[in-house]
Amino acid sequence: MGRTRGRICRSLAVGLAAGWVLVIPAHAEVSTERSSSIIIFPKIIYDGTFDTIVQVSNTSNSVVFAHCFYVDASLTDPTAPPGPNNPPLWQEVDFDIALTKQQPTHWVVSMGRTTNPFDEACALPDRTDCNDAGFDPGRIPPVPPGFTGELKCIEVDLSGAPISGNHLKGEATLLSLLDSPVSRFGDASKYNAVGIVGLDTNDTNNVLCLGGEASSQCPAGPEYEGCPNEVLVSHYAEGARNPVIEAQSNGPSSVATYLTVVPCTEDFEFQIPASVRVQFEIYNEFEEPFSTSTTVTCWGNLALSSINPVFGIGPLGSRFVNTRMRPAGTDPGFVAVMEEFHTQPGAGTARSALNLHVVGQRPRADLIVVPGGP
Amino acid sequence: MKRLQLRRGKEMAMQQWLGKGLVAAVLAGGIESGSCRLARADVQSDQTGAILVFPKLIVDTTQGVDTLIRIHNASRSPIILQCFYVNATPRCPDGSGTCIPNQRFKSREQCSVRCEEQWQETDFRIVLTENQPVAWLVSRGAVDCRSTPNGAEPPPDDNAPCFPLDGVFRVNPRGNQSNAGSRVPPAPEDPFIGELKCIAVDENDRPVVRNDVYGNASIVESTRSRVDVSAYNAIAIKALPNNNGDKTLVLGRPGDPGVEYNGCPNLLILDHFFDLATDPVTGDTITTDLTLVPCSQDFLRQDPAKSTSTVQFLVFNEFEQRFSTSKLVRCFREVQLSNIDTRTNDRSIFSAQVAGTLTGQTRIRGVADGAADHGNTLLGVAEEYRDSGTAAFNLHAQGVRPQNDFLYLP
Repeated sequence: MGRTRGRICRSLAVGLAAGWVLVIPAHAEVSTERSSSIIIFPKIIYDGTFDTIVQVSNTSNSVVFAHCFYVDASLTDPTAPPGPNNPPLWQEVDFDIALTKQQPTHWVVSMGRTTNPFDEACALPDRTDCNDAGFDPGRIPPVPPGFTGELKCIEVDLSGAPISGNHLKGEATLLSLLDSPVSRFGDASKYNAVGIVGLDTNDTNNVLCLGGEASSQCPAGPEYEGCPNEVLVSHYAEGARNPVIEAQSNGPSSVATYLTVVPCTEDFEFQIPASVRVQFEIYNEFEEPFSTSTTVTCWGNLALSSINPVFGIGPLGSRFVNTRMRPAGTDPGFVAVMEEFHTQPGAGTARSALNLHVVGQRPRADLIVVPGGP
Repeated sequence: MKRLQLRRGKEMAMQQWLGKGLVAAVLAGGIESGSCRLARADVQSDQTGAILVFPKLIVDTTQGVDTLIRIHNASRSPIILQCFYVNATPRCPDGSGTCIPNQRFKSREQCSVRCEEQWQETDFRIVLTENQPVAWLVSRGAVDCRSTPNGAEPPPDDNAPCFPLDGVFRVNPRGNQSNAGSRVPPAPEDPFIGELKCIAVDENDRPVVRNDVYGNASIVESTRSRVDVSAYNAIAIKALPNNNGDKTLVLGRPGDPGVEYNGCPNLLILDHFFDLATDPVTGDTITTDLTLVPCSQDFLRQDPAKSTSTVQFLVFNEFEQRFSTSKLVRCFREVQLSNIDTRTNDRSIFSAQVAGTLTGQTRIRGVADGAADHGNTLLGVAEEYRDSGTAAFNLHAQGVRPQNDFLYLP
């Protein structure tokens, strides 16, 4: 047994060294469709209305390890409105996963995943319920009820040090649990995890440098690609009607859009939430410009209508909108996803999630500080 | 005790296997990484580009199904797009039923004889002013808003999407740009399934290096009692500085001779639930439709031979057990995963009963046939179906291959 473990460790050391040397060179910007070294699921919800299934895959022929962080951004008192006296928790919980070559895995965030090699597999003729079958990636904790927040997974080596392997990809499926004004039971929306590509300058310490220049905290310069300079959002004006529903004479319909924003800078060591002032540059179909801004601390799930009434169909005067989001000045970068809610009278609400388009990289580094070892 | 020994035995077997396999696997990974050093996929659905590909459009207005296209100009100057609808709606020769392979049509009367494939392009032009969003329904197309039935000044939200800046009565705020010259035809038939491709061009229809557009498509189903929406981003292909502006667009590795656009990916990676799996949250049955379109297309000669590839599917379940199968893709292919290798869904390698686990990873590769006038890479999108609704998502991509792909424009 001990000899076997020794072989595994030796193999891993060789493998990881080889993988490290042969890592892909610098890649432009964050991506929702490339294997990466950091994957971010900005919108994870288990609040009684929605639950989330997370899928993560290893796209390489090597064993891959990842250190994952749930960030619970639900309110301290969920029954009270948000405010200075009722801030979000920003509580992180972390865990490790290991994936064998090309292995996909998944878990339901409300259930987590246990390590049980006797999980029953699906089988003919009609066993189709095999939620935990497969090589368990590790013990994954369930999130607490009421969880709203993000999940971030960072590729690490066997010792837990961050590395730039660029072997991870992922998806999240948000499922509605209730027939409610904002959704219909079982309705699903799905987005790709936002990936941040690792560079071959990674010094494997616990301060992860995303973009920017060399500094005292990032002596070797960027270790990962930077967060986007701009995020482009293609959306409906708030309250606009869905033209397909209207064409079928099933209206009056309305569309609402939620943006989920996560700052790229995060200090998991000291649990210091980062704030970013997000500026919006808005263009309607007549090319008329509007602008507004808001502040996101730690995590924000923002209805456009709650940011500013200017996003409404009345002020904008057109149904389709092109919005550019960017951090103000030297604020941290951010990543985001959006979800549209299409409501039809008598039929409920259908949702669709979309990844957002990105432009450029922030000139300043964003830092992710992961907890150091014991 | 026996159970514990069994578990230990399993763990040891796995660890021994890991130990033996790792060196080879890691070396293979290293080789793979090494090959990726030269071959990184640059076709993206989260960035702007000069070519937009919408692999999947569906229309069936009798059942309340339509696709909304949204395209945006992300630059501060106007841009012209030449767009191509590819009608891939298969025909039922005797009219006995539908031939459309999409799952929304599964409950309909199916065609009782062999379906006839179709691949017909229709092209049109649109003009977007700076930073302008435009949209249209595939079933209806789009015209100048003033020529809609609602008259000269339609309410902004009470008509089918249309082009608001006609260039005569209405121009952009600076008074120098409009949508004049834009007109989108409706889908050539209803029901319809197919693809849309838009290419940035100049006033003379010559392709230009303008990586400024992005877009998305929403497939909406609306009946009296049900509404469902699934959406995906258009796949963007960036133009390279050495675009010669001719009608043959060369997609390949940046820096290779003659290459004008980033190459299509060597591999597509699809993470999916195995078909017929039970959703662990809702208890719904999950299935997935995959849509693939070739990167090489000959719109000039309508030659399907240049858009034909054998596609290899390499499937891994959560036990890292590997299966594979293949399928011919000609021009356009929409298929339920568990119909790729068999018509008996529950016996497919894509079914949960055969794969044994809930989710899988499938690597999709068009096999290079060595032809000089076309490549064999693919683009695609996936759509997940549950009893209660659908969700579309973009595929991941990996690598670029040395063979070029070509788009021949009329």
